[in-house]
Amino acid sequence: MLKKNDLLNIRKNILNSINHADSGHLGPSYSCVEMIYVILKKYVNLKKKFRNKFILSKGHAAPAFYAVLDHLKLLKKNELNTLRKFNSRLQGHPDKKKLAYVDSGTGALGQGLSVSIGYALSAKLKNRENYVFCILGDGELQEGQTWEAAMYIGVKRLKNVITLIDANKFQNEYSVKDTLEEINIKKKWQAFGFNFFKINGHSLKDIDNTIKKCMNKKINKPCVIYCDTIKGKGVSIFENNNKYHSIKKLSTEEYETAIRELSIK
Amino acid sequence: MNYSQSIRDAFGIALVQEAKKNKNILAISCDLKNACKLNYFFKKYPKRSFEIGIAEANAIGIAAGLSMDGFRPFVASFGSFITGKNIEIRTSISYNKAPVVIVGTHAGLIGSDGATQSALQDIAVMRSIPNIEVFQPCSPYDAKQILKYVCRTRRPTYLRIARNEIKEFLDKKHFFKVGMVNEILKGSNILVISSGPMVRNCLDAIKRVNAKNGLLNISSLKPLNERLLIRIIQKYRKILTVEDHSIFGGLGSIVSEIVTKYNLKKQVKIHGINDTYINSDTPGNLEKQYLLDSDGIKKIIQNY
Repeated sequence: MLKKNDLLNIRKNILNSINHADSGHLGPSYSCVEMIYVILKKYVNLKKKFRNKFILSKGHAAPAFYAVLDHLKLLKKNELNTLRKFNSRLQGHPDKKKLAYVDSGTGALGQGLSVSIGYALSAKLKNRENYVFCILGDGELQEGQTWEAAMYIGVKRLKNVITLIDANKFQNEYSVKDTLEEINIKKKWQAFGFNFFKINGHSLKDIDNTIKKCMNKKINKPCVIYCDTIKGKGVSIFENNNKYHSIKKLSTEEYETAIRELSIK
Repeated sequence: MNYSQSIRDAFGIALVQEAKKNKNILAISCDLKNACKLNYFFKKYPKRSFEIGIAEANAIGIAAGLSMDGFRPFVASFGSFITGKNIEIRTSISYNKAPVVIVGTHAGLIGSDGATQSALQDIAVMRSIPNIEVFQPCSPYDAKQILKYVCRTRRPTYLRIARNEIKEFLDKKHFFKVGMVNEILKGSNILVISSGPMVRNCLDAIKRVNAKNGLLNISSLKPLNERLLIRIIQKYRKILTVEDHSIFGGLGSIVSEIVTKYNLKKQVKIHGINDTYINSDTPGNLEKQYLLDSDGIKKIIQNY
């Protein structure tokens, strides 16, 4: 079952693993953690052989992915503390060769949606009703390859790819708006042949219900879920503050504030 | 075997033959299936063929996904275009060790289409990316043999396929083995080492020079059986490498690296395209201009 309280613990683990590593992408992990949680908890059973796939195209949110794996008891005890360490399965960006739960290594942005198409076509060739879930960043949409992939999905009506956008409004340096403003985003996706859903990306219920809608057999077009999110969501000092996009060790004060806010009340 | 065929045609036909036995083989095109000779496959196996459009990066990602789910996709385009997608090959294919076969045609001195369409850095690019095997057939028969191997393995692969029509010079005893080099002519003076369609030109050139010069073909550019190569190099006085590729990072570099690594103390002369773009002209005239026809290679050998 989806439990809101699970997220407090997962966020704490993301923070601890990054703090332990002395580096990592905190803000972009916090914005998409609900999305990853719902997908891996309900729609992609990583323990099964023939299963749906999950591709974190914005690979820098790896700490969120790892923390959800830990929540699902798929990692070894204390393995989260090996984040970004030599020979760890938990590399700075997902590494399929080291960690079998990674369906595609990512990190150079813009490629995940194309790989998702490959998996989706494979499912069709094998007559399996499998889906591929792909999370993109809103900044990542600046990569041209994403639109090559979107064009293909739309034209071919590849409904077994479900695209989710973590719209946290920031990218590495500035806000998306200050970098290359996202204009007519809904119309863009619709023009490429998609059903466009805009939801609250931190609401487990909204994510779950919208995914269900996208997987309805009666739906006529492939779907993109634009998840309105907050970068650094869950800790007041991190929220919408791009200083926490990629961090070094936090100060004791920052750390304690975060842990306090992430404790179950 | 007395016939002429373009290497790309030999590739395209052999792929269809292999696909009959191996149902996992797929073809992925980027609007160049006729030029790359995937058209035979598309015609025979339409359900296993995918036209992605003029979107090589997307095609590479799609091929990666298909391959990681058990298929053996061949994604083809001009070598300059497909290997130009370095970061896509690096992340989606190599980093994942995704068993895609990348086919780059129109390498070297392609003709009047000119510089932008011809692959002259592709070997340098591809051999610098981990996990990828790099092969280049020197004749139609070699292409068939390489295809057989590639269709039985599941490693990421780059195939450099020339459009040159080659009069077959290998005999039926020839076989391809990964890493292998084959000494086509034996000698003791200059060892000419070449790869791809230039091997044929070297063969014609050496036959016209009265000296004990040898000819070595390297189809398996990576990996390479270094011990075998060293044993052959040691029989000769000096080495000349000949390639329709930049003199940086290609065959000449491969040989030089081995000579240095094992301290073989042999002179190596690298003959290829000198850090420039090629011109438009007929392939024949281009070979003449860049001293890569048999006359040109003969001159290089004689002045060495």
